[in-house]
Amino acid sequence: MSDVRVAVLFGFGINCDHETAAVFRLVGAEADRLHVNRLIESPEVLATYDILAIPGGFSFGDHLGSGRLLGNRLRFALRDPLRDFVANGGPVIGICNGFQVLVKTGLLPGPPAGGDVTPDFEQRASLALNESGRYEDRWVTLEFDPESPCVWTKGLTRIDCPVRHGEGRFVVEDESVLDRMDEAHQLTVRYVDPASPKGEGRTDALLPYPISPNGSARNIAGVCDATGLVFGLMPHPEAIYAKWLHPDHTRYTAPEAEASVPVEERSLGEWEGEGLQIFRNAVEHVRARSG
Amino acid sequence: MHDVRVEVTPRLDGQAVDVRGNVVKARLLQDLNLDVARVRSICGFVVRSPMDAAALGERVDDLFVDPIIELGRLGSAWLADAALFPDAPDLVITIGFKPGVTDNAGSAALDGLRTLFPEARVEGAGVATDLTYAFYGLPAGADGADIAASLHNPLIERALIQTGPGSDGWTLLGYPERPAVEAQPPATVDLEVDDETLIRLSEDGLLALNLEEMQTIRDHYRDPAVQASRTALGLPPHAPTDVELECLAQTWSEHCKHKIFAAHIHHRDEVTGEDSEIDSLFKTHIMRPTLDMQEEMPWLLSVFHDNSGVIAWDDAWSVCMKAETHNSPSALDPYGGAMTGIVGVNRDILGTGLGARPIANTDVFCFGPPDWEGDLPSNLFHPSRVLRGVHAGVRVGGNESGIPTVNGAIVFDDRYIGKPLVYCGTVGLMPATLPDGRPGHAKTAEPGDLVYMVGGRIGADGIHGATFSSLELTEDSPSSAVQIGDPITQKKMLDMLLEARDAGLIASITDNGAGGISSSIGEMAEQTGGVEIDLAAAPLKQVGLSPWEILVSESQERMTVAVHPHHAEAFEAMATVHEVEATVVATFTDDGRFLVRHGEEVVALLPLEFLHDGVPQLRLESVWSPPEHPAFVPPEDADHNALLLRLLARPNVASKEDWVRQYDHEVIAQTAVKPFVGVERDGPADAAVIAPLHGSSRGLVISNGIVPRYADIDAGAMVVAAVDEAVRNAVCVGVDVDRMAGLDNFCWPDPIVSEKTPDGRFKLAQLVRANRELERMCRAYRVPCVSGKDSMKNDYGTGPDKISIPPTMLFSLFGDHPDVRMTATSDLKREGERLYLFGRCRQELGASEVASMLSEAGEAAGIGGTVPSMDDPVAQREAYAALSAEIAAGRIRTAHDCSEGGLGVALAEMCIGGRRGAMVDLDGLGLDGADTFGQLWGESLGRIVIGVEALHEAEVCQALEQHGLTLIGLVVSGGRLVVEDGFDVLIDLEVEEMVEAWKAPLALPVGGGR
Repeated sequence: MSDVRVAVLFGFGINCDHETAAVFRLVGAEADRLHVNRLIESPEVLATYDILAIPGGFSFGDHLGSGRLLGNRLRFALRDPLRDFVANGGPVIGICNGFQVLVKTGLLPGPPAGGDVTPDFEQRASLALNESGRYEDRWVTLEFDPESPCVWTKGLTRIDCPVRHGEGRFVVEDESVLDRMDEAHQLTVRYVDPASPKGEGRTDALLPYPISPNGSARNIAGVCDATGLVFGLMPHPEAIYAKWLHPDHTRYTAPEAEASVPVEERSLGEWEGEGLQIFRNAVEHVRARSG
Repeated sequence: MHDVRVEVTPRLDGQAVDVRGNVVKARLLQDLNLDVARVRSICGFVVRSPMDAAALGERVDDLFVDPIIELGRLGSAWLADAALFPDAPDLVITIGFKPGVTDNAGSAALDGLRTLFPEARVEGAGVATDLTYAFYGLPAGADGADIAASLHNPLIERALIQTGPGSDGWTLLGYPERPAVEAQPPATVDLEVDDETLIRLSEDGLLALNLEEMQTIRDHYRDPAVQASRTALGLPPHAPTDVELECLAQTWSEHCKHKIFAAHIHHRDEVTGEDSEIDSLFKTHIMRPTLDMQEEMPWLLSVFHDNSGVIAWDDAWSVCMKAETHNSPSALDPYGGAMTGIVGVNRDILGTGLGARPIANTDVFCFGPPDWEGDLPSNLFHPSRVLRGVHAGVRVGGNESGIPTVNGAIVFDDRYIGKPLVYCGTVGLMPATLPDGRPGHAKTAEPGDLVYMVGGRIGADGIHGATFSSLELTEDSPSSAVQIGDPITQKKMLDMLLEARDAGLIASITDNGAGGISSSIGEMAEQTGGVEIDLAAAPLKQVGLSPWEILVSESQERMTVAVHPHHAEAFEAMATVHEVEATVVATFTDDGRFLVRHGEEVVALLPLEFLHDGVPQLRLESVWSPPEHPAFVPPEDADHNALLLRLLARPNVASKEDWVRQYDHEVIAQTAVKPFVGVERDGPADAAVIAPLHGSSRGLVISNGIVPRYADIDAGAMVVAAVDEAVRNAVCVGVDVDRMAGLDNFCWPDPIVSEKTPDGRFKLAQLVRANRELERMCRAYRVPCVSGKDSMKNDYGTGPDKISIPPTMLFSLFGDHPDVRMTATSDLKREGERLYLFGRCRQELGASEVASMLSEAGEAAGIGGTVPSMDDPVAQREAYAALSAEIAAGRIRTAHDCSEGGLGVALAEMCIGGRRGAMVDLDGLGLDGADTFGQLWGESLGRIVIGVEALHEAEVCQALEQHGLTLIGLVVSGGRLVVEDGFDVLIDLEVEEMVEAWKAPLALPVGGGR
């Protein structure tokens, strides 16, 4: 039995639950796939977990806007347990559809930094239809804000991973929201030109399709809340948990993972993929906190 | 109940964009060449519930509207709002569903409504959705009806066209009201009539039964024992009820019983003088070879009798695969037909053994040319629209189900205008042994088990699908045979049933597909020897269904599951958590009877034996004489640069990237070789490689082979090439050739000689030759067919304008891969890599892509000539084994097979994937009979181009030399492909020029959606 327990939600069309649970296990956590309704049935169960993950998928077929209907189920049935989970320091990640759910429930980006940052379930941003007008599966390059308070992205500079969505264009009502988020380093991860020097790719100027696959404001791929505990992103870091999933692995040019543990201690050794460190960060954060 | 209309439209301020409107604007430009200045979109919801407008109004922003990017309005049209819609549009089109058609967005909205308003959980509540487009700056002369026609399918949707508000304002679509229908009590059908009337009964009732079959049914009711048992239950003793007749028609349909593959055939060959009898092509050429091989292959766990074939994989897991077609529904409604195709084959996997998890989809489509400019028969869509609709259906079905689409193909030929072929395949993974010790691949139903119908409800949609697909398509083909899938309902059911499997609650499981519960429960009843069904227990989508309709309806998203009574409570509790409907509709017995009640009344009684084995064997005639084609003579002084660029732009060869990228090919985090490879991730992959167990690099290979062109010369050669192509593709990524299994999927034009099919004997002879070659190849390659399917009526129309598809067999393959870290892809990797051709070039240009291209353009007389063949498949298998072993050992990282367009196109694709040039000299290839033209463009089987690094060259050469290996070139630093033949330069092209030629033809405009 591991010391860190992760709840990975599933049901109603979430479909990345198996691999999301698997990547947490690969970094030493215990992960349970937990049906949304089992959580609603016994909300107190949430407090027995250290980390909450909302994986990708097509909850309710993305009808009425991606993440809206599952977001409502959480918002109305689990409001207090979710607020307490974050207020008590529990890391939460939403990937792809999970990110959409966190945005529609208002957990992301959450109340502005500097004030009371307890979740208030107010929607402040959205993920709109891609400007291309279509769903696409393609690999993108991401860079992280090194000063972000996000507990999930510590030590990461750049990774490649796939996007697989039709509604990933991050938008807000007003540019000032982005300015405030940027100041607080909540614009955690952006799409960057893979040809740019590593560490220098992030820019506010809109990058062309398909470098930015959806037309997001400031090339935003993912954001965190003011506490840095709640993190959501459209791309799929779990889909590059192993180097053999990188399209360049047969070319011997797949990038090495930037991991905080030595190669020989990683469960996949030199075949660890770049995405796994995100999940390890959260597990290590929980350990350090309780340690 | 109140009907309240809610409208939602994108905001115009801030960062909002009307993407839906932009997509329609781009589509009109593409489809109708109409350049509209602007299109705005409005989503409409008609909410039928106990809540009135005031109650709903308070929560509109919680449910229907995204406050950041949208605006909502209650009760009236946004178009009437002068602030948001200040200018009058030139045209307004609203599209909604017809009554009874599945409205997935509406169902989701209802679910969301019930989250907010528990009081909406009442029968009769519902939400209907529609989409309104407002067109501004419409070019003069643009026709509203034309625009509407390109935006909807009248079979399932309604369109409202307006050019301005009426005196009462804008007209709005209302709730799609179904006309009230009353259930009819079971009728008795008198079969003691003359033969002509029997035939008419079959035709008028869409039963698709022939005279002999109708007579067999009539004779059954003449049996005094049968009459006595019927009298005892209060059934008409001398004649069937409509329930019985419909049930027999479904069970005995070509679709379900494969009567042509089971037929007794008298075969004559006018060339060799052969005159022989064949008792079932299936038993002789498909089943027998597999059973023979099974004696030496203990890893073949379950073949033919289940919903898919199962093979052992590692100690803990078994894998299964199934492919099916959904051609007729896809012709009538490409989107709905294809979506039900993919989610339907997913259910075959879920219904295998005690339940398998679908982990990968493959999609192979055959369409008319997307740029077709000729006539179209009435009732048929333009091929480009079929492509778009089928693609969208498979995309939504696969993506929303969370199953990656890892491999596929699109083939174009004029004759597929008459009937598109939509092959959907799925691979599944199941535990070798369940926690309770039962093997995962075997069913364990017992008498007394409860039979649950799980998932969706039964509706009037999908009645007669099985019999309809056993008939040719005509103008009058029924719309009730068309359905739209509901992937989310199915996903919920899948989650629930796999949890039930692991908890040991499932005794047996099968899919509800063609023939509805009459087929699913009827087939399952054979496991215990009988069943008693109560149709009144089955949950319905709407009132008014008659008993026979409930029994045969093919409404989607349903599984039939047998559960031991002591597990019933746990099973139902699990269904409740997952919000899946599960209802007991039958009980298994062992009395040999298929007994159907509707409440207290018995409405059908059929002996199981008669139901399953009563259908008389067809006796068919087959005569082979080879078709004659003008010979293909290669042009003298061919311009090979131009030929290569033209071939790369052929729809059969050109990149389908913009289409395929819309499939999720990576969900489950397992896809190690994706559909696209290379530096720009746009080179073609030969086969998919997946590593489905997270953390393990143990893999599976999935590939396909399909070459319908060769059937124009010989359907046998077509099958040989398809099998070889599937295996060849798998070898390119390093499959373990000792662990491969195949699926045969035949799509044929009607091969039964009749007034409407005067050439039936020839078409049947094509089928005979195809099957014989299938057996020869499978035995030699040691690839057992573990599952298959046939669709035998792929014709449009009956008169002189009848269009028949070319005989087509798709061969799908799944096999083991020892370690996905050691695999190869088609892209050239590094400067200095040495290029070898593995295999031999013969002068085989008959029915080749280049022959078709040049004869279509009038530059060659015809396509006739020597079609590619495989004389010694045993030796070829040894060669493949040697090559695959080198790849799996990590010594070869670059490999690409030669298929359409031969070596020339293969080399070009390798350069494209690597964005690198190559220097190639064909001089060494001259020993096997091909001239330069044949070497470059011929399509000899068994050939793979490999790239080898200097470090491994000696070892690779030593291992492969004896199997035919020729050094042909070198990867170079510049961006040019140069192909020479000794001293003559044949091809000299920039890689970027080839990229452009290859990618442009089927590209989609960015911003234009699909």
